[in-house]
Amino acid sequence: MEFFEIEKGKLNTGVGLTIAPRTGHQARPRQAMGSTPAEQVHPPLSTERVGPPVRPREPLNDISLMIGGQGGDGTLTISDLLGRYFHARGLYIYTARAVLSRIRGGHADASTRAHVDPVWSQKASQDVLVAFDEDAVKVGLKELAPGGFVLADQGSVKSEGPNIYHLPLSITAASKAGNGLYKNVVSFGSLSVMLGFDPVVARGVVEKRFGRRGGEALEANLKAFDLGREIVREAGLKTPIFTVAQGNAKDQILISGNQACALGFVVAGGRFFAGYPITPATPIMENLEKFLPQFDGIVRQAEDELAAINMAIGAAYAGARTMTATSGPGLSLMTEGMGHAGTAEVPLVIVDCQRAGPSTGEPTRHEQSDLLFVVFASHGEFPRFVLSPGYASDVFDLTVEATNLAEKWQLPVFIMLDNDESENTQSTAPFDLSKVRVDRGRLTSNEELAKMEVYKRYEFTQDGISRRSVPGMKGGVSQTTGNEHDEWGHVSVNPENRRKMMAKRMNRLELAKKDLPAPHLWGDEKARVGLIGYGSTYGPIREAQRVLKEKGVPTRFFQARTLWPVPREALTTFLESVDVAYVVENNYTGQFGRLIRQELPELAPKLRPVVKFDGLAFRAPDIVHAVRGEP
Amino acid sequence: MTEVVKPIPSTWCPGCGDFGVMAALKNSLKELKVPTEETVIVGGIGCSGGIHNFLDGYGFHSLHGRLLPTAVGVKLANPKLTVVAVGGDGDGYAIGMGHFIHTLKKNVDITYIVMNNETYGLTKGQPSPTAKVGFHGNIESPFDSVLTALSIPSAGYIARGFSGAPREAAQYVTEALRYNRERRGFAFVEILSPCVTYNDTYQLWRQQVENVEKLPGYDRSQRAKAFASVLEVKERGKIPVGQIFRVADDKGVPALDKTLLPMIERSPTTADISLEHNLTKYQKLVSSFS
Ligand SMILES: Cc1ncc(C[n+]2csc(CCOP(=O)(O)OP(=O)(O)O)c2C)c(N)n1
Ligand code: SF4
Ligand SMILES: [Mg+2]
Repeated sequence: MEFFEIEKGKLNTGVGLTIAPRTGHQARPRQAMGSTPAEQVHPPLSTERVGPPVRPREPLNDISLMIGGQGGDGTLTISDLLGRYFHARGLYIYTARAVLSRIRGGHADASTRAHVDPVWSQKASQDVLVAFDEDAVKVGLKELAPGGFVLADQGSVKSEGPNIYHLPLSITAASKAGNGLYKNVVSFGSLSVMLGFDPVVARGVVEKRFGRRGGEALEANLKAFDLGREIVREAGLKTPIFTVAQGNAKDQILISGNQACALGFVVAGGRFFAGYPITPATPIMENLEKFLPQFDGIVRQAEDELAAINMAIGAAYAGARTMTATSGPGLSLMTEGMGHAGTAEVPLVIVDCQRAGPSTGEPTRHEQSDLLFVVFASHGEFPRFVLSPGYASDVFDLTVEATNLAEKWQLPVFIMLDNDESENTQSTAPFDLSKVRVDRGRLTSNEELAKMEVYKRYEFTQDGISRRSVPGMKGGVSQTTGNEHDEWGHVSVNPENRRKMMAKRMNRLELAKKDLPAPHLWGDEKARVGLIGYGSTYGPIREAQRVLKEKGVPTRFFQARTLWPVPREALTTFLESVDVAYVVENNYTGQFGRLIRQELPELAPKLRPVVKFDGLAFRAPDIVHAVRGEP
Repeated sequence: MTEVVKPIPSTWCPGCGDFGVMAALKNSLKELKVPTEETVIVGGIGCSGGIHNFLDGYGFHSLHGRLLPTAVGVKLANPKLTVVAVGGDGDGYAIGMGHFIHTLKKNVDITYIVMNNETYGLTKGQPSPTAKVGFHGNIESPFDSVLTALSIPSAGYIARGFSGAPREAAQYVTEALRYNRERRGFAFVEILSPCVTYNDTYQLWRQQVENVEKLPGYDRSQRAKAFASVLEVKERGKIPVGQIFRVADDKGVPALDKTLLPMIERSPTTADISLEHNLTKYQKLVSSFS
């Protein structure tokens, strides 16, 4: 039985966003929306449609700027400077990289969004595009909002239009600032005039960013900034073209999911990490390479993911709190190791930074299509927990939680992130360290062992959790194995022992339920329209809730944070409280919806899958349209 | 004293070469007085890989071919432990080949013993990577682990023994463990251990083994000469055994665990991970993102 059936002869044509209402077992045609997601949500804007820039009277409460060019054009520097400026102005920030990477290799781009309210996802359209080449204009123009403008590098960009301003960014950098590379700071200077930035704050941002390099570098960058302002005035532009509101966000940090995960692991007492480079998981390893040596911890880059997970298993067995992180292809290679850790009862945290698969798939693209694999991966059966945080501080909290759960329940715990959540940065309040606790479960000690008459590593207990000794402990000598084993850890194929050992391990899925992260519920308690999501769909869903509410559709959002075992009780309560629930996920088959349906078949008729599998994350309007049944 | 798991009687066929290896390892651990609780034996999958069940000490049964990364993880997490990885030729040179080369390269202070019987004993006699041409229809030339190990620049201790000569084999294992305990790096010992059931080579190997150390002027600290001697012995139809290479005391690549954890008392497993102990440093890390 499929979650939704595809009508015979009507195969999916690669439409990105699909809602398929499901009632009972009848086959229903999938309602396909638009032709491509970008077109559905952000109708392509030809230059004529854009028209001359309109100057909004009110400052923007929500602005998104995209910068596109060749690698080395400093797109990230501009995006970073913008982020710092808006941060200083009390706005909430969300930055993304490689938004346009559909275009040819070597192209680099980044976007910065700033909002007076918290944001956790990209804006549906761009208000400003900074283009260092023609490609950036071609693709970026489609994303441009009505009233938006393009700051184009004179000489590099040929396209013309009433909303395209050609300024000599690289020419000025090369001839007057001393190096073409300064075009990034020149652009920031120009933008600061075009958007009416506070010049002192903007200049301060440049000072802070380049101050550490000191002396000449700082001088040169400040000069580039001033030149950038000058060329706007020389061009005789009427400025500001529009302005941005001031916010009152305070004491925020700007952090990516990968960074939050690395931090959470260290704070949880994680001291060993083994991995193999893979997009988008690599930054976890790179951040830990910086952090862990300060705490007697170790990070090893292994020769492949087979080595990575087994090295991690070795370290975890030896008693270090251990993590490995990977993505798609690496996860496939780790599969045998997962079952090994499960049977041997070795505590391990495995992070899956999902990207579009299978095979090499789309390494830099966004997807949430590993869920069923992570839940069921391995030959044979073993217990595992699968957690999925929704935003940066949630990533931090659940990483701490996962590290504790792994040791407490002596099994592998998965943290599922997704591409945008891993890589993009967002404003968040600094993490609350006072909530952190380190719970090592039934890790035993020399003292405890000395008092025991007999020590058996896999002793049968009430809850199936045995005391865990680690090498070096006197009186804790033991055998650890992935073979089925008796209480001593010796290989056994005795059927009765097998039954008891299977139950000992598998019962954890029931027993641990109260211990697993509870869902977060957002929005109107009385709403009859439900939304279900996990991972980074949190951002666009929360944003869509705001819009829907304004349009008179109150909603309630079930943010699942434990995906396996499926939070049956919480989901039942939730589904009983709504008439319909849209399950929003970035995959083709509606994987979480399938799990819910499998666990709660009687409530399945209320589920409406909203899926997107074009390599891009949802943006709020996608969800608004889906809920309102709009094409 | 707490009662703990006891070694079980071996499940090997009577006369199996693996018995000689087990005797050697047992003697070496005893000779060096390695405390049982600080001994970790990581077994592979194969007849050979079950060895940890038959010995005292912490035992970890890893996946087929993955014993080396597992052993490396154990040692890096707690450098105080004496870690011995033991597996078969199929485990180490077929499915685990990548890890063999990379562990030689990593140079972590563990000893790796391969029980080479030129076959897959546990799966009933298929040709392994060291099988001779003609064995069970094998048409691929055999692989030589010693030559491979010699070609990895960081490999510092390489020996090959024969389980038919357990005293020598034990000596190589003892030397290997000493080398680890001095934090010199990875030690590799292959022991020819015939599979009496599927590839009984006792008589043949007894005639073929030739100790390179007895060659006139042999200097086991000279890598190039060792390489040439091994080739030369093989060309004569013999099997080179002995302490084939041991890097000179003043040479060699530093052991990875020593580089990462210069003080053996401070490691991932001994670190104080309490929040109180680390709070100030944690706060600094978090605020570095503002
Ligand atoms: C991934 C995987 N593939 C195949 C096997 C089956 N298998 C078990 S032992 C073995 C070969 C054993 O040969 P060797 O390592 O030389 O050990 P021996 O039995 O000769 O001591 C194989 C192929 C397995 N356990 N795991
Ligand atoms: S099958 Fe061969 S290798 Fe295995 S125990 Fe018997 S003799 Fe030894
Ligand atoms: Mg073998």
